Amino acid sequence: MTREMHISEPDLRVLAEDLVRGGTRLIGPARPPGKDGAVVYREVKGLDEIVLVGDPPARSLKEFFLPPTEVLFTYRQKQGDVELAPAPHVFPPQVVLGARPCDAAAVSVVDKVMDWDYHDELWFGRRQATTIVSVACSGGDASCFCTAVGLAPDVAKGSDVLLVPVEGGFHAEILTEKGEVFVAAHATRFAAGGRSEAAMAYRAAARGKAEANLRADPAKIRAFLESSFEHPIWEGIALRCHGCGACAFVCPTCHCFDIVDEAESVATGARRRNWDTCQAAKFTLHGSGHNPRKGQDCRIRQRLMHKFAIYPGRFQEILCTGCGRCVRICPGGMDLLEMLDRIGREPAAPGEAGRGAP
Amino acid sequence: MQELRELAKKLLLEGTVKVVIGYAEGRRGVLPIFAVTPGEAGRLIFDPRCVQNLATYLSPRREQVVALGRPAVVVKGCDARAVAGMIRESQRSRDDLVLIGVRCGGVLADPVSAVEVSEATVAARCPGCDARVPKHVDHLVGPLPPAPPGTSALDARIAELEALSPGERFAFWRSELEKCVRCNACREICPMCFCVRCVADKAQPQWIESSPHARGNFAWHMTRALHQAGRCAACGECERACPAGIPLNLLNRKIARVVAERFGYSASGDPESPAPIGTYRPEDGEEFIL
Amino acid sequence: MNGGNLYQPHLVRIDEIVDETVDTRTLKLTFKDPMLAASFDFKAGQFGEYSVFGSGECTFCIASAPTRKGYLECSFKKVGRVTAAMRELNVGDTMGFRGPYGNSFPLEKMYGKSLVFVAGGIGLAPVRCVIQNALDLRDRFKDVTIICGARSVGDLVYKRELDEWAARKDVKLWQTVDPGGETGGWRGEIGFVPAIVEKARPGAIDAFAVVCGPPIMIKFALPVLNGLGFKDDAIYTTLENRMKCGIGKCGRCNIGPVYVCKDGPVFTAAEIKGLPPEF
Repeated sequence: MTREMHISEPDLRVLAEDLVRGGTRLIGPARPPGKDGAVVYREVKGLDEIVLVGDPPARSLKEFFLPPTEVLFTYRQKQGDVELAPAPHVFPPQVVLGARPCDAAAVSVVDKVMDWDYHDELWFGRRQATTIVSVACSGGDASCFCTAVGLAPDVAKGSDVLLVPVEGGFHAEILTEKGEVFVAAHATRFAAGGRSEAAMAYRAAARGKAEANLRADPAKIRAFLESSFEHPIWEGIALRCHGCGACAFVCPTCHCFDIVDEAESVATGARRRNWDTCQAAKFTLHGSGHNPRKGQDCRIRQRLMHKFAIYPGRFQEILCTGCGRCVRICPGGMDLLEMLDRIGREPAAPGEAGRGAP
Repeated sequence: MQELRELAKKLLLEGTVKVVIGYAEGRRGVLPIFAVTPGEAGRLIFDPRCVQNLATYLSPRREQVVALGRPAVVVKGCDARAVAGMIRESQRSRDDLVLIGVRCGGVLADPVSAVEVSEATVAARCPGCDARVPKHVDHLVGPLPPAPPGTSALDARIAELEALSPGERFAFWRSELEKCVRCNACREICPMCFCVRCVADKAQPQWIESSPHARGNFAWHMTRALHQAGRCAACGECERACPAGIPLNLLNRKIARVVAERFGYSASGDPESPAPIGTYRPEDGEEFIL
Repeated sequence: MNGGNLYQPHLVRIDEIVDETVDTRTLKLTFKDPMLAASFDFKAGQFGEYSVFGSGECTFCIASAPTRKGYLECSFKKVGRVTAAMRELNVGDTMGFRGPYGNSFPLEKMYGKSLVFVAGGIGLAPVRCVIQNALDLRDRFKDVTIICGARSVGDLVYKRELDEWAARKDVKLWQTVDPGGETGGWRGEIGFVPAIVEKARPGAIDAFAVVCGPPIMIKFALPVLNGLGFKDDAIYTTLENRMKCGIGKCGRCNIGPVYVCKDGPVFTAAEIKGLPPEF
């Protein structure tokens, strides 16, 4: 299925211009205008704004498929009766240019839960409207660990087209039908290509760099998590955690949400879904006051179990793509690489492991 | 460093405290540790990468930490102000704690990539600091480094904002607060946000909308800034924790200035010094009521 | 599915309000869309998300039986924002309903066998659904025993149904209140529900038990049932947990690897014992 082509940088620039001129929303990793803030995925007007190779943007692609807040429907009340108006789930076309492979892979991982028995029209409406053109990453920084979760800086998963930087442009792998449609629409920008030694070398170097950060056996980690619910390790790990949820909010695969009603006026309002996090104390708080996950140790355990045991058990996918954002953002110094390394060295059955503070 | 480690080991061996909360080297930089053995105490460090405010771990809400027992905590001057605030507001009692003050010359804005304090690398809140030698602590360790260089970029930025019209200022804050995703990192990390049930979490009635849109975000941040008025220790943790890069320090610093002008009070490291939020003086101005 | 998207409820009208006790109320709801009212179907044990527009959604089991068409019922106590708003609604007002969600009691598996229902307090709500379903198909089951209780006479819910069941010759009903909860003229049992199960000694051969009530009641009732010969995989209960979406996407209701909204809310005692202590 994979076709290999080449696109020069000037051609890519024109392609980007064509997209914007044609009314397609162009999204890429870019700095906010006028400030020296962190690179984030945002709407851009041209290739010059996009930072094609570098560390992952501060936030993930998640917000383009599951916005931080999203109207599900609106309501209007009149005299004991109610009218509902659904939120549209057909969206204008958009192209992500310069997605990091870990972020593209994450979107396809979350597809699984969004399609679990009930098809989430809002998520898939946005998915349908979006073409993801990734750029192979050069190996990330010390907090990246994509290879430890079965992915790689050049992984194809989730991308429609994968660009690999080579001299003067990019080697292009067309991975999906949507990718074919995209390339066909801009056929004049692409040149025939084939195997590229330079691209292969780039990819191999990137993988080597990422692998150096963490070697882990996801099966061993899952086995530990499934048998260590009451292990003392959780208390120690939880001590420095603030339960702030910054990790969940920057994470490309965290998708938990809250549903709330908000009045706009006396008689009208909207029901929304908002990003939420299992790290918040009130996530599982019952109306009666009972909280099954009362302490931070329970909550951090849930985070790790959901990502590395529960989701894989249900959907055969790890709910983590090793992007390292949680490590970079955590104000309390929580380090997932350290935790996974630690867990990977624990025996599967609880032994005399210590309290757990690394 | 050695002074700090010896002191920590001594406190643990003597049983004066059950845990020393301090900083240690992690895989990727400095992180907080909870040393319960002399061995663990041997990992304690202090250098300009130690940006975290460890006072927040003293909150009685943190059951796992409370369960460890009587703590000693390593505090910079700004951190000590937070501890004083928690004592002043009856969250901890002074006898409950051992405070190990460290002399400080400023911390780094980016403790992962920078190493030395300079005008370019120092955290914006540090220049002009008057608490480099924490008072009201039980022990004082470490040499006194030179004062943080330069002037605070925060003051310059506040001056710029003050020069704008109210409409322009509103537009600035609107564009900043729109980025907020309501993760509540600013609240969870703040030592002075110790309410068991935050007003933003109340549903009956819902005073503050929980959705991360401009309106809900404004309500949240304005409320938090006002709840911090006169209490904020200016430790800068809220801005550091924010994953959306919102300049929360500007808000808190501006409000602290207003409090200083109106009430002649700045957050103090002395838990005994009365704060405007809980004290009435006959000479307090009332022009905002009348 | 629903009118708009997955999360948009159907509109229902409140047709009847019954105050079961001082704090527990039952609403009888019918779908405003007549086609939906005629075609709506569910299985005993399933739950729905009930909306009060402007306040939010709340999770309740469907308390009426699927054998009774054209309406559904829910019973609730005022606990938080949405239930407080539900108490303010009147007959004729509009609510929302999403569902049915979750799994159900496997009644077909129980055909030809005896049924033992054990319920405490408002735990009778999900059980009442199964009881009515079973009684509507009475000849498919052997013995039917119902043991239910509450803290006091005033706290017994579904008093109309209790009178109906008491009057039936083909049902053995034991009603009980906690010691001290009796009023003058009370002719039922006095004692905690597990103790009355012991007293009733329902037969375990070819029998299934359906248990629901406060956690403490379940904790003590299960060993009594085991003692009478009920194996853990013949005892069914229903769990509740904090829910939002009800369809397995919002990540909130899991107990270890099990999602209460998808793998439950109906579980056997054997399955419950395999769950991590996270509920």
